[in-house]
Amino acid sequence: MKKLLLPLITALIAAPTLAPLNAQPVDGGHARVELISERETAIPGETVWFGLSFEMVDEWHIYWKNAGDAGIPPRAYWDDQTTVDAEAIGAIDWPLPELLPVVEGEIMDYGYSGEIVLPFPVQIPENATGPVRLGGEIDYLICKDICIPESVDLAVTLNVGPQQVPDRENGARIAEALADVPVYFTGEVSLTAKGESWTLSASGGELVGASGDTRFFPDGHEIVHAAPQPVEFGEQGLAIELTPARPGMPEALTGVIRVAVDGEEPVAVRISASEGDVLAGTSGLGSSGGEATTAGGGTGGLTSGAGGAGGGLNFFVLIGSALLGGLILNLMPCVLPVLSIKAIGMVQVAARGERGELRKHGLWYTAGVLISFAATGLAFIALRAAGQFVSLGFQLQYPAVVAALALIMVLIGLWLLGVVNFGSSVQNVGSGLAGRQGSAGAFFTGVLAAVVGAPCVGPFVVGALGAVLNQPWPVVMAVFLMLGFGLALPFLVLSYVPGLHKSLPKPGLWMERLKQAFAFPMFLTAAWLITVLGNHPAAGATAFGAVILAFGIWLISVAGGRLRTGLVAAGAVLALVGIAWPVASGLQEAPATSGVAASYAAAYEPEPWSPTRVDELIGEGRGVFVDFTASWCATCQVNKRTTLKREDVLEAMDAANVTFLVADFTRPNDEISDELKRRGSPGVPMYLLYAPGEPEPEILPTLLNPGMLKRKLEAFLTTTAPAERMTP
Amino acid sequence: MTALTRRNLGLASGMAAAVALSAGAMIAFSASAAPAAEPGQPAPDFTGLTATGEQVSLSDFAGKTVILEWTNDGCPFVQKHYADPPQNMQGLQDRAGEDEIVWLQVISSAPGTQGHVDGDRAIEINEGRDASPTHVILDPSGDIGRLYEAKTTPHMFVIEPDSAIAYAGAIDSIPSSRVSDIETAKNYVTAALDALEAGETVQTSWAAPYGCSVKYE
Repeated sequence: MKKLLLPLITALIAAPTLAPLNAQPVDGGHARVELISERETAIPGETVWFGLSFEMVDEWHIYWKNAGDAGIPPRAYWDDQTTVDAEAIGAIDWPLPELLPVVEGEIMDYGYSGEIVLPFPVQIPENATGPVRLGGEIDYLICKDICIPESVDLAVTLNVGPQQVPDRENGARIAEALADVPVYFTGEVSLTAKGESWTLSASGGELVGASGDTRFFPDGHEIVHAAPQPVEFGEQGLAIELTPARPGMPEALTGVIRVAVDGEEPVAVRISASEGDVLAGTSGLGSSGGEATTAGGGTGGLTSGAGGAGGGLNFFVLIGSALLGGLILNLMPCVLPVLSIKAIGMVQVAARGERGELRKHGLWYTAGVLISFAATGLAFIALRAAGQFVSLGFQLQYPAVVAALALIMVLIGLWLLGVVNFGSSVQNVGSGLAGRQGSAGAFFTGVLAAVVGAPCVGPFVVGALGAVLNQPWPVVMAVFLMLGFGLALPFLVLSYVPGLHKSLPKPGLWMERLKQAFAFPMFLTAAWLITVLGNHPAAGATAFGAVILAFGIWLISVAGGRLRTGLVAAGAVLALVGIAWPVASGLQEAPATSGVAASYAAAYEPEPWSPTRVDELIGEGRGVFVDFTASWCATCQVNKRTTLKREDVLEAMDAANVTFLVADFTRPNDEISDELKRRGSPGVPMYLLYAPGEPEPEILPTLLNPGMLKRKLEAFLTTTAPAERMTP
Repeated sequence: MTALTRRNLGLASGMAAAVALSAGAMIAFSASAAPAAEPGQPAPDFTGLTATGEQVSLSDFAGKTVILEWTNDGCPFVQKHYADPPQNMQGLQDRAGEDEIVWLQVISSAPGTQGHVDGDRAIEINEGRDASPTHVILDPSGDIGRLYEAKTTPHMFVIEPDSAIAYAGAIDSIPSSRVSDIETAKNYVTAALDALEAGETVQTSWAAPYGCSVKYE
């Protein structure tokens, strides 16, 4: 048996070398690879195109000459039996590759999937008499989620004779591949540093009138492969913005520019660009691809709501940060007072040793919080469904709402001080000191915690809210419920973990003092809300209203004896007036300006923003900085103080030929909310920086710092300087 | 109650922003302050959990030369450099051990992807191939990998005792998965270590890394 098998195997192994012409494809594992040639018979001395043909399994890919961030291109190791010299075998002429985003925004590869032929020329020896053989090992890395280096032994034998005999089928495949090889660009290219990025401009030749999905594939690693490449189109060509991988400009940046054309083959040109001015006529006719470019980028959805615009924020990250935000909410100045009351109630229940009662409290409290947050979520979803642009803090554009909120804070403060009781039936809502009314009391404490807690929603919540702006409703709901659950969690744990309640302190006078002390954060909140009203008439009304309200409440509380009915009535009227007057005046027409301008440096008069004004300024070749702000936006105020009011920043703006515009969103404004929506911002602040003459702005981070802003402005100086020199 | 809550929630953003500022500012600061992990730049500090369960920070090794090696035992390019013979990576690790250089292997494969292992398995793999890194750092979240913008396995970083990055990139000059290429390739890590020991500047401080992509989630 063995004797018989051995020769058979030997014969089989030897078979490929005996095959006279093109060999059959060899399966390397995830691709069928074949060495093909455009001729069956070649004449001595001529150059014949060969090709490595790959037929890949679906979703697997091999790599371009520059694989990008990971991967390596195929490579041939010609064997000893190859009858042409190594020098006679030319390099592969690489067809246009496709983008292979491995990890979105982080790892970008370039390569091929499906079927591809990699053509290369071979010079047939002048003195060839017999057949020419080309063979060897072809190594290629093929990847899907994982990478597998595969290797196949291939060989092809070509007859040599006085007359060419084409291999029509393979010849056509090679010709097709060669048609996909980018041509050398006949126009002009230039590479220009622009701030922290480079502009690659190309004009003339094949790119006149080109527009469509554009990508630059570099031969080397000079640029960040995974970075977006915003592009502008002009009469003469286009300009691509590239992100350098490291400082310093290369002597020449080589690679391929590809512009997709609808329904046709893309335009692909091979370029070599060296440093120079941006070429004329490469912008002004629109742009694309610039979406996800932010300066810092990539820090996740927690830094600001703007992160949500890019989408794709992991659902669990969202839920997790919502839970964390809810937990942190417990520590916020406006929640803590209410919670302290709740805690005091629990201290007393625990002191009486009623474990079952404690648990019931925990559950009802959680229910109260969750229902309030669910209601908030519903309101959010309903508003969005009604087509309203729900921006963060939009409610504060309505003075009546702000006035009412301020007065509610005053009322809660009074109650904490012990001036006011809400009557015996709802006493438990607030004081809860006795903890007698168990369930209902606990439930309403939960609701109250949610209500007063909302103003203090912490950093994580802002991120989560920004991120859910455009999410489907179940996600919105999940985020809101998780926020509530986070808020309720500490009490739930306290009431359920056995023995934990024993660690609570003993009840005593300290509880009353603590409660009273907590009145002051509430008053502070009210004061802040009044400043939010700015120069609106409701501001004064609210301040006076608060005093009237307090007086009325006090009257009711001290009412007694014969005057009782009268005093209570008077107090109630006063309290009503104290609330009604500010709210009514809040409903009046707001003054045109909100006083935002006054918060800039005294010597500085910012111009109001409008899209047409931006176009005008850009048309004049100036840069523009737009501050989308509102007096109720605390982040905006902080940015003004740290950055926008600073003389040196304003001077840097002047020097860089950048005009400062202000879009005041303190009161509702459709034009501004449209712009916010268009830029994917969940609200104010938003900062847009237009480089001089550039129609598309950069969206700056929501937290500014002078260094960052000045660096960006100074970058304009260096790029605009040459242009200025050119003008006579 | 509903309306009240909603209003309050709106109010939230305003006030929250104030509260958020401290946290937000910190986040923003750390984001803008994070230096790129490039040659000549200071190596960003990190803290990670090792295969043996210890907490290790880069700053623990201040004053020593540190080598970071991104690895994934399922990746053919990693296998190339651990192949026996010639034990290319193991040889480098031995040399590091002799010269009191700290060698930190980092595994940034996300759970469920190629190369993701637990501590015991990571140690077992190293014992099986005679590898002797000082520590194996498990980075399933990919945080450390992203901090260094590690793209491939292997991806090497040589950090000087003063914490400047002396070399970042490929292990050697021939991007292939062929073991036979190791012999003829110029090993950039060896070159960087030689230069540092001789007090010279590192000739090649960056080379495009090659290998499998790091399996971030």
